[in-house]
Amino acid sequence: MAEWFAEVQEKFVAAFITGDRWKLYFEGLGMTLEIAVFAAVLGIVIGTVIALMKLTTGKNGRGTVLSVIANIYIDIIRGTPTVLQLLIMWFVIMKSSQNGLLVASLSFGINSGAYVAEIIRAGILAVDPGQTEAGRSVGLSRIQTMRYIVLPQAFKNALPPICNEFITLLKETAIVGYVGLSDLTRVANQISSRTYEAFMPLIGAAVIYLVVIKILTVLFGKLERRLRKGDYR
Amino acid sequence: MITVKDLHKQFNENHVLRGIDYKIEKGEKIVIIGPSGSGKSTFLRCLNLLEQPTSGEIWLEDTCITDPKTDINKIRQRMGMVFQHFNLFNNLTIMENITLAPTKLGLMKKDEAKEKALQLLARVNLTDKADAYPAQLSGGQKQRIAIVRSLAMNPEVMLFDEPTSALDPEMVGEVLEVMKELAESGMTMVVVTHEMGFAREVATKVLFMDEGIIMEENTPQEFFANPQCDRLKDFLSKVL
Repeated sequence: MAEWFAEVQEKFVAAFITGDRWKLYFEGLGMTLEIAVFAAVLGIVIGTVIALMKLTTGKNGRGTVLSVIANIYIDIIRGTPTVLQLLIMWFVIMKSSQNGLLVASLSFGINSGAYVAEIIRAGILAVDPGQTEAGRSVGLSRIQTMRYIVLPQAFKNALPPICNEFITLLKETAIVGYVGLSDLTRVANQISSRTYEAFMPLIGAAVIYLVVIKILTVLFGKLERRLRKGDYR
Repeated sequence: MITVKDLHKQFNENHVLRGIDYKIEKGEKIVIIGPSGSGKSTFLRCLNLLEQPTSGEIWLEDTCITDPKTDINKIRQRMGMVFQHFNLFNNLTIMENITLAPTKLGLMKKDEAKEKALQLLARVNLTDKADAYPAQLSGGQKQRIAIVRSLAMNPEVMLFDEPTSALDPEMVGEVLEVMKELAESGMTMVVVTHEMGFAREVATKVLFMDEGIIMEENTPQEFFANPQCDRLKDFLSKVL
């Protein structure tokens, strides 16, 4: 028993303590969060714009140029693997850029935008058409009605799936190792290949992801409850 | 004040309005009754272009509002509308519901709009609900707020689309009371309703619509005492 404990302790020390390795995990986590947050913000901006573009209708109820563009964008992004998009961004579109963080953030933001667009579109469609009619009937323009009445309610509707999307995004950043960025997953992998011991670094990284995502879930839950204050009671 | 000329509305194959001609004078209270599917709500919704007519013209004073060049947002500022399902803005407080349009459209400053809102709220006895959200109100309260929200724009005419149809019976009275007061204040009103008592008491003219046309039009006394066409006699015998 004591032997076993000693072994575990040794592995733990090798994985986290020796050479201040724990710092590497946190640097990796920092990289992961930086990419995820930047990409999420970009994704929400792109997603909102694309959702609004997709919802435009022409006079005869058919699509407009804007909605066709939005559809093509969504098709391309959803129809190709995220890793491939990242590689194309790194090796083809922005191959002259040395800033891996920027390339990865853009790539994930553009990817997330397609999914967020559909989430927000669903959120907008879930708002009672009567809200729009009421807005227009007091003389507000289409844009004002969207801005002050429909979108706030749409975002509230969309919050749970947006939370879901952000969590997916955060974990998907684990593939940035492909373009040489040291995120949490890659750091853990590197340490395990240096110590010839996979268990501690990989489980350690998994626990860190888990804790971060749990914290995010709680925060999103709080935000959701705050936005719902107008709903009941 | 409002002139409707040969108004038609088709939803695909469904011909809902089949040629409506009517003139509404300033200060009149027009009550429209008729069976469901007769086109009365569609007619009302055409008046502020929430429904785009298939053909025909609608004039407000000397502006042709069906002309595509007309800025419909400006026209709608002059025409209030009250819906069956209230349609209060769920994400805003009562005060914000009332002040949103006047402030965002640059008609009033914030303080001015608030003051006006408080006056209007006092008129319907709901001053204490200023900071509540729509979900916290009863149906009758919501509808009174919806009326106030329209009035905050100082409209020249008010359109009511079955304003009491979605209410619990005991809340109908409080809404009709507000509408009666509004009528007495001289507001031009067009009301689609099933409240025959209201039609009798308040209307200057009652219209009977069926199958997309105005079948009969008369003063309330004559309308109810001496219905002319068989369809109306039949309808009244069922609802009265």
